[in-house]
Amino acid sequence: MSTSKNNTSKQLLWIAMAGIFMFFAGLTSAVIVRSAEHGWDSIDMPIWFWYSTAAIILSSLLLIIAKWQVKKGNSPSIYVLGALALGLFFGYCQVKGWDQLTAMGMYFVGEGSNPSSSFLYVITFAHLVHVIGGLVALIITSVKSLQSKYTKDNYLGIELVSIYWHFLDVLWVYLFVFLLYSVK
Amino acid sequence: MSDHHKETFISKYVFSLDHKMIAKQFLITGMFMGIIGMLMSIMFRLQLSNPGESFAVLEWFLGSKWAPGGILDPNMYLSLVTMHGTILVFWVLTAGLTGTFANFLIPLQIGARDMASGFMNMLSYWFFFAATIILLCSLFVETGPASAGWTIYPPLSALPQAIPGSGLGQDLWLVSIALFIVSSLLGGLNYIVTILNLRTKGMSMSRLPLTMWAILITAILGVLSFPVLLAAALLLIFDRSFGTSFYLSDIIIGGEALHHTGGSPVLFEHLFWFLGHPEVYIILLPSLGIVSEVMSVNTRKPIFGYKAMVGAMLAIAFLSFIVWGHHMFITGMDPFLGSVFTFTTLLIAIPSAVKVFNYLATLWKGSIRFTPAMLFTIGFVSTFITGGLTGLILGDSALDINVHDTYFVVGHFHIVMGLSAIYGMFSGVYHWFPKMYGRMMNKKLGYLHFWVTFIAAYGVFFPMHFLGLAGLPRRYYTNSAFPMFDNLTDINSIITFFAIVGGLVQLVFVFNFFYSIFKGTKASENPWESNTLEWTTPVERIHGNWPGEIPTVHRWPYDYSKPGADKDFVMQTEPLKEGKTEH
Amino acid sequence: MTNILIALVLILLVATLVQILRVSELLSELKKQDVNEVTDKDNATQGKILLIVGVLFLGSVVWQFVNWIPLMLPPASSEHGAVIDSLMQFTMVLIIFVFFVTHPILFWYGYKYNKNKKNPVAFFYPHNNKLEVIWTVVPTIVLTAVILYGLSAWDSITNADTSDSQVIELYAKQFDWTARYAGEDNTLGFSNYKLVKGPNQLGVDLTDEFSQDDVVVREVHLAVNKPVLLKMHSRDVIHSAFLPHFRVQMNCVPGMTTQFAFTPTQTTAEMKAQEGEDFEFVLLCNKICGAAHYNMQMKFVVETEEEYNAWMASQKTVKNTLTKK
Repeated sequence: MSTSKNNTSKQLLWIAMAGIFMFFAGLTSAVIVRSAEHGWDSIDMPIWFWYSTAAIILSSLLLIIAKWQVKKGNSPSIYVLGALALGLFFGYCQVKGWDQLTAMGMYFVGEGSNPSSSFLYVITFAHLVHVIGGLVALIITSVKSLQSKYTKDNYLGIELVSIYWHFLDVLWVYLFVFLLYSVK
Repeated sequence: MSDHHKETFISKYVFSLDHKMIAKQFLITGMFMGIIGMLMSIMFRLQLSNPGESFAVLEWFLGSKWAPGGILDPNMYLSLVTMHGTILVFWVLTAGLTGTFANFLIPLQIGARDMASGFMNMLSYWFFFAATIILLCSLFVETGPASAGWTIYPPLSALPQAIPGSGLGQDLWLVSIALFIVSSLLGGLNYIVTILNLRTKGMSMSRLPLTMWAILITAILGVLSFPVLLAAALLLIFDRSFGTSFYLSDIIIGGEALHHTGGSPVLFEHLFWFLGHPEVYIILLPSLGIVSEVMSVNTRKPIFGYKAMVGAMLAIAFLSFIVWGHHMFITGMDPFLGSVFTFTTLLIAIPSAVKVFNYLATLWKGSIRFTPAMLFTIGFVSTFITGGLTGLILGDSALDINVHDTYFVVGHFHIVMGLSAIYGMFSGVYHWFPKMYGRMMNKKLGYLHFWVTFIAAYGVFFPMHFLGLAGLPRRYYTNSAFPMFDNLTDINSIITFFAIVGGLVQLVFVFNFFYSIFKGTKASENPWESNTLEWTTPVERIHGNWPGEIPTVHRWPYDYSKPGADKDFVMQTEPLKEGKTEH
Repeated sequence: MTNILIALVLILLVATLVQILRVSELLSELKKQDVNEVTDKDNATQGKILLIVGVLFLGSVVWQFVNWIPLMLPPASSEHGAVIDSLMQFTMVLIIFVFFVTHPILFWYGYKYNKNKKNPVAFFYPHNNKLEVIWTVVPTIVLTAVILYGLSAWDSITNADTSDSQVIELYAKQFDWTARYAGEDNTLGFSNYKLVKGPNQLGVDLTDEFSQDDVVVREVHLAVNKPVLLKMHSRDVIHSAFLPHFRVQMNCVPGMTTQFAFTPTQTTAEMKAQEGEDFEFVLLCNKICGAAHYNMQMKFVVETEEEYNAWMASQKTVKNTLTKK
C-alpha cells in the first residue's frame, strides 16, 4: 500500500511538472516567435541573475545530500535548512535582478518598456511564483525534519520536495540560458 | 478504506470526496450551463432570422438596456455569441463531459475504490464551481459580458475602448478561465495517475475499456495544452491591466494613439490555438470512448478493431499538437508554414476514417438493441462523418481562403465537435444513469429526445454550410447590410425554426433526467447486460464502490456473443476457460 | 404579476407531466411489464424510424443542394479564384461521394441488424487485419491526392509574381475601409500611426517623396485582367479583408503589414449582366471587430482599362490634397 501511495504521489508530481513545463514552453516559444520580428531590444542579463543561478544549483545539491543522509538514517535537517536558506536567497537575487533591470532603464511596463524586457520580467516572475510554492514545501519539510519525522523507511516528503526543487532548478537553468541568448 | 464515520448532508452532497458524487456535481452544473448557453443561442438566432424585429422575450431576459423595445443591441449580440461559445466549449463539453464521465467511470471501470486523490478531485470541482459563479456574474456587469468572441483575440479583447464588453466583463472572463484551467489540471492529473496506478489485478492496459483509453488520452492532452492557454491569458492580463505590449502595437483607438509598440496580436493566436486545437479533441475524445463502449454493448458485438481504435485515438491526439496553424491560414503566415499545417491537418482524416469504418464494421451483423443511448451513438457516427468531411475543405489552406470565418466553419465545427460530443454525452448519460442513480431513465421520452434532436440539429447546422458558401461571415449582427445576402433570409428562418425546436426538446431530456432520479423505475445491477466492471457494483451506490474485495479481471471487456459462451456476454471478471486464449 | 402566473403555469405543467408518466408506469407494472425494458418491438420500430429518418435526411440534403446552389457565390472573378473553384469542386465531389456511401450503410445496418427473434445473436467479429489495412491505406492514397492538389494550388496563390502588380493599400479601422493607390511610382509612401492627424487619416508621411503621387479613395476601382497587390493595415483591432467574389481574404493586423495578390477577370458590368442589376463587388470585414462589424464594407469596381484610366485621372493625389498648404 505504501509503495503504491509513493508511486502515486510521485506520478502526480511528475505529471504536474509536465504541465508546468508546458506553461513555460508556451512563454518561451512566444519569445522565439516575437524576437524574430523587428523592434526587439537587447538586454544585458543582470549580474544578480547569475548569483541566483548559482544559489539554486547549490541548493539543489544540498537536497541531494539530504536524501543520502536520510537514507543512511542520519538527520537531514541541516541540509534541508541550508537548501531553504539558499532558496530564500534565490528569491532575494531575483528581486535585486529586477531592481538592476529597472536601473538600466529596462522597464516592465509603460513608455520605456519593450517586449524583450517585459518578457524577461514575466518569465522570471512566473518562475518565482513556482519557487515560492517550493519554498513553502521546503519550510514544511524543514519543520518535519527538525521534529525527526523522517526515517530510513519513510522519507517520501523529502523525496517529493527534492524532485520538485530539482525541477525548479533545471527549469531555471533552462530559462536563464534561453533568456541569455534570446534577449541579447 | 471503508468509511464508517457518519456522513452529513454537507459531506455527502456538497464537499463530497466520493468520485460518483463529484461526477454528478459536474454533470448537473454542466447541464445547467448547457441550458443557459442554449438559451443564448436561441436569442441570437431570433435576431439573425428577423433582424431588427421586436421580441418581448429578449427584453424579458436581457432587460431594456440590452434589448430596448425587444430589439437586441449589437454589442449584446456579440456578448451572447461569445458567452455561448465559451460556455459550450469549456463548461459543457470540457468540464461537463470529461468531468462527469472521467470521475464517474474511472474508478468503476478500472476497479478502484476511488480516485488517487479524492481531495484534489473535490478541489477540481470547487475551482470549477467558482469559475462558474464568476462567469455568471460577468453576465450582469454594467458594460456587459466579454464580447470579443470565445477566442478573445487581442486587441479587441484588450481594449475597452474598442468594445464595451472588453471592460470588466473581459476581466471576469479571464479570471474565470484561469480558475477553470486550474480545475481542469487538477482533474486531469488525477485521471492520469488513477488510470495508470490503481487498476485492479488483471486489468492490463490492453484490457482497458475504450472509455478509459479515451479519457486517459484526453487528460494527457489537457495537462499539456491548458498551461499554454494559461500563459497566453497571463500575457493578455498583463497587457490589459498593467500596460505591457505583448500583443499590442501601433494602435489608435477612440482618436487616441496608445503607447504600445512592438507587440504582436498574431502571437496570441499562436498561443491560443496551441491549446485551442487539442481542446477540440479534449472535447471529442471522451465521446469517441463512450460511443465505442455503448455501441459494443448494444450491438452485442465486440468493438471492431480494438487496437486500431486505440491507435487511432493516439494518432489523433499526437497530430492535434501540430495542426494549430490551420486556424491561422489567413493571418499572413509564411506560405511554407501554411503548407506544413495543411499537410498535418489533412493527415488527421486517416485515423478518423479508420474509426468511422470500424464503427460501421461493429454495426455489421450485430444484434442491435435500440436503447436511447444506442440511438445517440448512431447519431454520433453520422455527425462525425458529416463534420469530418467538411474538415477536408477547411483544412486545405487554399480552400480555407474563401470559407474562413464564414458560416461554413460554424456549420462544420458545430457538427463535428458540438453535436458529436453532445451526442456522446447524451449517450453516456442514458447508458450510465442506472449506475449513477439506481433508476432507469424513461425510454419513450429518450426516443422522443433523440429523434427530434437528430432532425433539428441537422436542420440547424447543415444549411449553415450553404450560408458559408454564399460568403456570409460569422458573428454578423445582421445580414441586411449587404444586398448580396438578401436571398439568404429563408435559410436563416429555417435555421432559427429548428434551433427553437431543438432547444425545446432538450427540456424533455432535463425533465426525464430529474423525473427519473426521483421516480424512475428501479434498475437492476446490470440492466444492459454489459461486461465491464462498473456493472458488478451494487445498485446502492456505496463509498468504496464494492462492498467486499475488488473483483479481479480475467479478460478484455468486449466478449459479446462469444461463440461457446452460455450467455451473449461474458463479464471481465469471469476467468478464461482452461486452454482458451483471449479474443 | 404575469411572471408569477407564467411560473405557476409552468409548475403545474411539470407536475401534470410527472403524474402522467407515473400513471403510465404504474399501469404497466400492473401488467407485469417493465416500461423501460427495450423489447424486440422497440428494436423493430426504432430500426424502421432510423431508416425513414435516414432516407428523409439524405433526401433533404439533395433538396438543399438543388434549391440552394443557385444562391451560392457565382464562379470566381479572379485568376487564382478559378484554381480555388476547381479544387473546391474536386473536394466537394469527393466528400459528397463519401457522404452518400457511408450514410446509407450506417442507416441500413441500423435497420437490418436490429435485435429480434430472427437475429438474436450477433456475429462475433473482433477484428480483421486485412480489412483494417485496406481502410487505412485507401484513405491515405486519396488524401495524398487531396494534399498534393491543395498544396500546389496554395503554392500558386501565395507565390504569385507581383513584380508588375498595381500596389494598393487597404486600411482598416472601426468601422470602415480606406484605400490608398501607390500612384505612378507604384510605391506606397511611408506611413505611421503616429502621423494620423486631421484629414491625414492614414498617417501618410507627407515629407516622403513616394507619398506625393499616392491616391487616397473610399471606393476601389480596378482594371480588368491587371494584377493587383493588396497590402493590408489596421490601426485598431484585427479586421479581415474579405472579397468573396475574388476568393480573396487576408487579416488586417495592427502593427504589421499583410498582403494578397490577385487579378480580376470580370468587370462589374459583365457581372451585372450575369447576376442582376444590383450586383456589386464588395469588400467585407470578416474578423469580429466591434459593434458595427456587420456593416464594415467598401465597394470594389472592376472596369475596362480605359474606364479605369479615366477614373484614376479624376482622382486627386496626396500632393494635391494633404501636402498642399
